[in-house]
Amino acid sequence: MKKNWSQDNLSAYVLLSPILILLTIFVVIPFFYAIRVSFYDWSFYQESTFVGFRNFYMVITDRLFGEAVMVGLKFALMVVPSTLILAFLFANIVKGLGSRMASFVKTSVYIPTIISGIVASVIFVFIFDYVGGLANYVIGLFGYEPKGWLADVSTALPSIVAPAIWLGFGLTALIMLAGLLDIPENYYEAADLEGAGAFAKMRYITIPLMRNIFLFLMVTGFTANISQFELSLVMTNGGPLSVTTTPNLYIFNHFRNDVMVGNSIAASLLLFLVLGSISAIIFKVLNSEKAVDG
Amino acid sequence: MKTQNTIPKIVLTAIAIFVTILALFPLLWVIIAGFKEKTEVLATPFRFFPEQWRVTNYTDILSDAVFQQAMLITFGGAIVFAALTLLVNASAAYAFARLEFRFKGAIWLYVIMTMFIPGMAILLTSFIVVTKMGMLDTMGVLILPGIASAGHMFFMRQFYLNIPQSLEEAALIDGAGRIKIFTGIFIPMSFPVFVIVGIGAYLGYWNSFVWPTMTVTNIDLVQIMQYLYTFRSERSSEMGMLMAGSALSALPTIILFLIFQKYIISGIKISGLK
Repeated sequence: MKKNWSQDNLSAYVLLSPILILLTIFVVIPFFYAIRVSFYDWSFYQESTFVGFRNFYMVITDRLFGEAVMVGLKFALMVVPSTLILAFLFANIVKGLGSRMASFVKTSVYIPTIISGIVASVIFVFIFDYVGGLANYVIGLFGYEPKGWLADVSTALPSIVAPAIWLGFGLTALIMLAGLLDIPENYYEAADLEGAGAFAKMRYITIPLMRNIFLFLMVTGFTANISQFELSLVMTNGGPLSVTTTPNLYIFNHFRNDVMVGNSIAASLLLFLVLGSISAIIFKVLNSEKAVDG
Repeated sequence: MKTQNTIPKIVLTAIAIFVTILALFPLLWVIIAGFKEKTEVLATPFRFFPEQWRVTNYTDILSDAVFQQAMLITFGGAIVFAALTLLVNASAAYAFARLEFRFKGAIWLYVIMTMFIPGMAILLTSFIVVTKMGMLDTMGVLILPGIASAGHMFFMRQFYLNIPQSLEEAALIDGAGRIKIFTGIFIPMSFPVFVIVGIGAYLGYWNSFVWPTMTVTNIDLVQIMQYLYTFRSERSSEMGMLMAGSALSALPTIILFLIFQKYIISGIKISGLK
């Protein structure tokens, strides 16, 4: 037994060394480096000097950063609830379908999930084009004047929400469907015997049993969408004004244009604190629930 | 059998088909727009189908040397990336799932901790690190940084935890080493989980845009999403070609997905979420 143990030690370290080396070089070192740089006046071209919390102070007091965070929140608040509601309704519909139809539908709605943000942006820029875009054609059918969707302050952000929902809908719906199929059918049969209607079953069986799935999708959707920036980079480049500048686009633009990177790094660390704690909390919650479930 | 549905099945089917068409519509549109004349892509009034189907956009973009190169190099990179992702993370997953070793808890914590570091927080310093390592403008800078992934490792570990202990005990008694057991027993059994993680890794590489944009300027190494982005800003009058290029760039991914869709869709499980 003792011999086995020491053998395991060696094998384990051999098996673990690639992941440990790679994570250390490309994640852990950059992370601690980022923390360090955020306290310095760092640039590629000159000696850096320690500046304490000045970078953080500048970020927090930068009106544009505050606006970017608000844009990120608004964006996530538009994308996540609509995706969840649409996906939930759709999952309930698919559950009632025959199995061949269901598998065709599942495969089809999943396809947008694998499309890149860049291609999605290209497609939706054309959809929202002023002259020959589909969006103006559709509202034209209802007698509305064409709009400059991506150039108008009031419609730019919702126009970026559309591709985000398109990209996220399939996976969300399939996760919901997996959750629905996991609810034992006899719960519903028992409810039928009690004379419960469709609404009561939804309210007292389906929704409570789906609680953790909603929670999981909400948090992952929220962190993913608040970090979204490819769509706004390609579709509007953050404009008009800065109504589509998400926090990550703000950081990315600073990185592209500034000589000093301390600021951008301070901003990304602040964002990390918020997003990291949200993910940590959900991880904790889910893990403890699982333990209870056995 | 089920009578609980108050809505007739035909209505459900109709809605499902409608949503499916809606979900596929943007993609179909970009494919079809690729067959249009360049002035016709955004012609008013809006038309879904081209007046005359032409393949010139597709043949033009396919004969563009940079596009060809970008497709090939991105595809090759994605395959290598996916293979290495599987190897590195599966080894670690096996060690964490099956072996007892010194400092296991501490090493586990170290690896899992990296899951909570968002990419954007380390994007800039990762760039500084690879610059200092002299990796800019190499395939290495595109492939290596993303391989190790606590998330993928965690997912595969769950799979290995469910493989019966008896399988490897028999091999241990026969005197096989742990690494031999991993390569000889566990890897062959891993096909379903490898498909899911492998496709995920492939997608991550194929669709990545920001990292290549920052680290690669050499025209021979330009990645496909980078190519499309540059094409859009530099040749904005060639809309038909851009549509064709976008459609073609999504094609390998869609084909791969359709081949393995059975595994991917059944892999969407909710265990651990209940």
